[in-house]
Amino acid sequence: MSSQPSLRTQHYWRASAILVPGLLLMCASPARADRIEKHFKVGAHPVVTIHNPTGLVTVRAWTKSEVMVVAKRATDRVDVDAEQIENRVDIDTRQIPDNASPGDLRADLEISVPEDAELQIHNDSGGVNVSNVLGDMNVETIAADVALEDAAGYLTVKTVDGAFVCTRCSGRIEASSISGNFRFIDLRSSHVRAQTSEGNILFNGEFLPNGTYELKNYNGIIEVRFSPTDSFDLSATSLKGKVNNEAKLGPSSHHHHFLPRFGNALFGSLNTGRAKVDLSSFDGTINILKRD
Amino acid sequence: MSTMDCNAFWNQLEQWMEGERSSDARAHLRGCPNCRSALTDLDAIRQSASSMGDADVAPPDRIWISLRAQLEEEGLIHADRHGWADTVKGWFEEIFAVVPRPALAGAYLVALIAVGLALAAPSYRRSDGAQIPTRPLTAQLNTDEEHAISFVTDSDPAVAASLRKNLAIVDNYIALCEKSVQEEPENEIARDYLYGAYLQKADLLAQMTERGETR
Repeated sequence: MSSQPSLRTQHYWRASAILVPGLLLMCASPARADRIEKHFKVGAHPVVTIHNPTGLVTVRAWTKSEVMVVAKRATDRVDVDAEQIENRVDIDTRQIPDNASPGDLRADLEISVPEDAELQIHNDSGGVNVSNVLGDMNVETIAADVALEDAAGYLTVKTVDGAFVCTRCSGRIEASSISGNFRFIDLRSSHVRAQTSEGNILFNGEFLPNGTYELKNYNGIIEVRFSPTDSFDLSATSLKGKVNNEAKLGPSSHHHHFLPRFGNALFGSLNTGRAKVDLSSFDGTINILKRD
Repeated sequence: MSTMDCNAFWNQLEQWMEGERSSDARAHLRGCPNCRSALTDLDAIRQSASSMGDADVAPPDRIWISLRAQLEEEGLIHADRHGWADTVKGWFEEIFAVVPRPALAGAYLVALIAVGLALAAPSYRRSDGAQIPTRPLTAQLNTDEEHAISFVTDSDPAVAASLRKNLAIVDNYIALCEKSVQEEPENEIARDYLYGAYLQKADLLAQMTERGETR
């Protein structure tokens, strides 16, 4: 007879070693995570306001005329209020006791909205991801990154040092930051205005006829990708940095530019200059490169 | 014909802005395009900052450019610098009383531009080259800035660190732009960037202050 424990006994011991401390930890913690789910019936073009200082905010469009809020709280020291006032749904995360640590206040929100919803989102740290929402959007963050996909409304994004990525967006875009990087990918927008102080800006999208594209930073790299069939009137100025250009520009079609006395500047038109592209930097580098 | 010269006019600026307008001052203004233009700009700053409570108003871009150039060239604030400084200080103190962020940002913006002007203008330098301290404006701004920074100390550490880091970034750009403007006063691009950096700092300070008030 073997003195060694059987395989089944070994399995029980291993499982206990994993489960018991975990169960003890869950029981000992007065503030464990939980899940809240709420549903609101809404009409056309509802407005959804989201205030979630710490945590992830994910918003997706769906086909129902309903807003669904799923909140996962890190602890019960944070509460998630969601209420409806006519065609507006307000979602607000707030701390319950005053002495909660920042980690206790985290709440991750997953929100489903009709595709024509208008969004107002405030998030300090965590992150904001929005996809397939076609209404207007205003997003403000401090350190949180912002990612918008397939958005189409009037989009205003403001961060302090959060990055902003806009993929396949077709709305009017206005973005500002101090040290956040911006990436505009596969864009089909007729108006883009983006300014960041210390961040890089990448624009890889279409230049629509009569569109205006204004990209500005203090430092960092501004990179614009173009195809030879694009048509835009270009102005690129870096006061202290360089301007590198791969586009075969002709004389400006619509605008009469005067070379500035200071800095490095480049003006001209690609094809008939149907869009207006204005790139400027204080001491950063501007790259106008052929799209791969 | 006015008996008042430019210095005398600027000495009584505070009364002028408050609506006490003597016939001598009016006569001087009619005959002095420089004072007229500078006064228009100062008035525009005040109005732009005040109206920031209603909407995101961008003060005229040319304000910084024309104000600084004119004050530098004309030395319009020679004799009673504190009178002028106190007037501007009074304006932004009034606006600081308004709570909404755009108005608060407007107040910070006015303060920043005013301090920038005061520090840059040669009329604030003594003949021996030493700089005369612009106490009322600078002290007021420093106090308000410290106040704004103190608001974020209780915040989420990541957020507080981010705000402090970015305030330092903006301060660095302000210093770089001021240096550029001082080296090349006619460089309008540098002035535009300086004005933009002031705007960013004003907005950041307003955000910090607002966070403190809503906690």
